[in-house]
Amino acid sequence: MNLEKVVFGFFVLLAATLNFGFFIGDIANPEVHSVYELVAALAVSLIATVLKFGDRTQIGAVHLATSLVADLQLVAACVVWVWAVEISAAGLEAGATASVVSLSGGALLANLVSVVLLVVETVTFHRG
Amino acid sequence: MSNPLLVFWAQLFSRPEPVSRVPEHAHIESSSQASSTIFLVMRRMRTPLITLIVIFAVSVLGLHAIPGVDPEGRPARISLFESFYFMSYTATTIGFGELPWPFTAKQRLWVTFSIYLSVVGWAYAIGSLLTLLQDRSFRQALALQQFARKVKRLRAPFLLVAGYGRAGELLAKDFDALGQQLVVIDKAVDRVDALELGTYHADIPGLVADAANPHHLSAAGLDHPFCAGVLALTNDDQANLAVTMTAALLRPDLPVVARTVSPTIAERMHAFGTPTVVNPFDRFGEHLRLALSAPASYRLLTWLEAGPGAELPERSLPPTTGRWVVCGYGSFGREITADLRAAGLEVTVIETVERDESQHGVIVGDASEPEMLTRADLPNAVGLVAGTDNDTTNLSMLATARRRNPSLFLAARQNRPTSASLFEAMQVDALLVPTEMVAHEVYAQLSTPLLWRFLQEMPARGDQWAADLIQRLRRNCGRELPALWKVKLNQQQAPALTGWLAAGQVALGELLRSPEDRERGLRAVPLLLFRDGRAVLTPGGETVLEPDDELLFAGQGTERRELESTMVVDSTATYVLFDQHIPSSWVWRKLSRRSQPASTGHDREG
Repeated sequence: MNLEKVVFGFFVLLAATLNFGFFIGDIANPEVHSVYELVAALAVSLIATVLKFGDRTQIGAVHLATSLVADLQLVAACVVWVWAVEISAAGLEAGATASVVSLSGGALLANLVSVVLLVVETVTFHRG
Repeated sequence: MSNPLLVFWAQLFSRPEPVSRVPEHAHIESSSQASSTIFLVMRRMRTPLITLIVIFAVSVLGLHAIPGVDPEGRPARISLFESFYFMSYTATTIGFGELPWPFTAKQRLWVTFSIYLSVVGWAYAIGSLLTLLQDRSFRQALALQQFARKVKRLRAPFLLVAGYGRAGELLAKDFDALGQQLVVIDKAVDRVDALELGTYHADIPGLVADAANPHHLSAAGLDHPFCAGVLALTNDDQANLAVTMTAALLRPDLPVVARTVSPTIAERMHAFGTPTVVNPFDRFGEHLRLALSAPASYRLLTWLEAGPGAELPERSLPPTTGRWVVCGYGSFGREITADLRAAGLEVTVIETVERDESQHGVIVGDASEPEMLTRADLPNAVGLVAGTDNDTTNLSMLATARRRNPSLFLAARQNRPTSASLFEAMQVDALLVPTEMVAHEVYAQLSTPLLWRFLQEMPARGDQWAADLIQRLRRNCGRELPALWKVKLNQQQAPALTGWLAAGQVALGELLRSPEDRERGLRAVPLLLFRDGRAVLTPGGETVLEPDDELLFAGQGTERRELESTMVVDSTATYVLFDQHIPSSWVWRKLSRRSQPASTGHDREG
């Protein structure tokens, strides 16, 4: 067992699960989407990105790319949330919530690709 | 008469072709070394960055979780966004104060804790990054990458120079004056700095690296399609051997010139392909022999080898009979003794160290001691060679010898460039500067192949011929050596002449006339005519030229441009060769051809 692989797999999966937890539920209902989950997803996603630094393989490069996409989407979601809560006069209404959640949905897709890559890597390793 | 635009056009579109196809096996992954270092840096930044993210996440969430009060005294927690804002400016030590309203004691407790945490986190991350940027291997990797990128972008034939010592510097100046692009690789940082400070027309990429490493040679463009040759000029024979070997194995098609002072290394170099090995000691001996037998040939040889702009060397007449004294019997002393003996001269050798092989005429002792020079019987000698590897010893020997016998012919070896002014003040008759000798040799061999051919065949033509040629060059071009240039009479370089060349109507003397006034001859001296593998030295004006002839000229740039316009522009060529005026524009030519159907008897388009 390789501790580095455990930590890596843990963060990649945790990023995906937190993201999924935030995303699930009625898209326009702010009640069912916890902002803490969004922040946690962003932090874990950032850590996962840094963990992917410095991998020279082809699959490592794709890993890094998917992570960067997830980060971008989550940062965008956070910015929209801050705008809605702090700046916009209307507050966190249905449209803004839908926008935040759909952005996190994009990040979820990228995170799922990451997980798929992780699984593929593991499977090919056992075959070889 | 001539149209400069047409000349320009013809030159612009004769783009350089890649020198040769690169063999498949020649490619080495040169960038792998550089990129691996950058990956290593990214890998090392993982821990500091993750630490920073964790510290931020914990302190932002903590500040948000701790209850506070708003100005009206109601319990109110600051939002996640405000908490992030506060932590950002606190962690980066900007510190705007407590926003949006004053904190409670609980909040302040948490903020105190997170300030220490985050400042340590930032310091750790920035410190790690700066350490990595200062890292020597990282900087080298960056320099290598930048250099490799520069070389990869070169789109003109270039020479790879391994070793930018004194010889490399002299050569770089000569080749840069000829417009030849170079790439330099040297082990010493100060030499590459000197390259960057040097005033060159072209931007010469330089790399601090060991040239003996094939990866570095590959980064310097050994596998580049435009690489035109490799020069191994380091002062380390082993490194030169390694460069020669690498070049011969990876790019057998490239010409290689290597410098060495050891005959055994030279032999080992010859085992790999056909490198040109330059041994300065050997060449100095040959030059001295030539100077003994044919002083004018020697003078011409040294002048042509010295590169463009060189002054005509002074006439030196070494004594051809009598006894010579050679001080220092190292590799240089041996070469020169052998050469002098081969020229039929008697030689006395003074050597510090007693060698196993006892030879006739060798005196053992310190050559700088006056007593030794007495034993060598200086007053009855005709020449002295101060050939030790120590400049001070050489100079003191020269001074003593001159006092004993003022009529001695003095030859000396200068080892360090800093001693140049001392040797100059000493006014020795023949001076060997090994690095300059190497530079001149390599220049003669690589600047144009025809010059080398000329120098090879020149001594056979005799001394009087050489003296006449020196006179002719001086009359036409002045005291300074003009540029030497090559012309090939083919469709690309001489489109205006091809028809007449095939008909055998172009005599060299007719071609060398000014396009402004054909009564005036061009002040260019034809040195060599090369045809079908045979060379004719100083072809006369009556020589009839043929297609694909190659000619080597000496003359100023203005003369060269005038000849080029004759070769490229139809109307100029007609005027210069046959004193006939034809219209230079297409419309007028068509019109005049209709009125005079056979005015020139020459139709190039047809």
